[in-house]
Amino acid sequence: MSFRNRFAQYALIAFAGVVLAACANQKEPAATAISGIETAVNAASADASKYIPDQLADVKSKLGDLKAAFDKQDYKAVLAGAPAILSSAQALAASAAAKKDEIMKALSSDWTGLAASVPDLVSAVQSRVAILSKSKKVPAGIDLAAAKSGIADATSAWDKAKAAFAAGNLDEAVTTAKDVKAKAEAAAAARKLDRTTPAPAAK
Amino acid sequence: MMAENDNAAKPAAAPAAIGQFHEVQKGDTLSKIAEKYYGDPSLYKDIFEANKDVLKDPNKIFPGQKLRIP
Repeated sequence: MSFRNRFAQYALIAFAGVVLAACANQKEPAATAISGIETAVNAASADASKYIPDQLADVKSKLGDLKAAFDKQDYKAVLAGAPAILSSAQALAASAAAKKDEIMKALSSDWTGLAASVPDLVSAVQSRVAILSKSKKVPAGIDLAAAKSGIADATSAWDKAKAAFAAGNLDEAVTTAKDVKAKAEAAAAARKLDRTTPAPAAK
Repeated sequence: MMAENDNAAKPAAAPAAIGQFHEVQKGDTLSKIAEKYYGDPSLYKDIFEANKDVLKDPNKIFPGQKLRIP
């Protein structure tokens, strides 16, 4: 073997060694990059899944692609793609917090309106039901039993709404309060509270 | 005492979603109003109690008065 051929052979072996070493050197940083992204995703996951599910799914999908590249030992691709995905993952928490804040403000506004109107509505229905219960002849067309049942349900549900609000669960408080309003309105309809013409007295 | 107006008694539309109001017409008495809304004239006291801010005497109501029907 000539000196030239031997040199080429050594050079090839050396190059392969360098490539292998380079690959081995990139594996750990690639694994660390993926781990960092996973940490950021996990930290934001609770709120992100609730308030920005699409954004979370997008980041998870990209993370999945990175992992696939890692499994194929394409560490270069992992290291090239990781910074952008890490940035997206780190932005999840802030985006989720902003969306949560926006929703909480809307719910708070809803609650304020409901808290101002629902108790009066329930009270008005209760008052009428109490008076009608004393009547010797309930006017025709008034379903007193339905009104009593409806207002009992509404009163109970309103207590639950207030408890949810006191516990800081604004979402549940508003949902329950809306249900109370619907129940109270149904009870009001059952006793014809909002009729412009009163039901004729039963003869 | 009857209210002084020939118009037939008719309840006013509720000004808000909550509660109900009745505009007094001539010939109205609290008993008649109670009978219309509750089916029982003896329940006029409930209407009177709910309108004590505008009524001093249950026998004195006047056309045009808007009474809250509790």
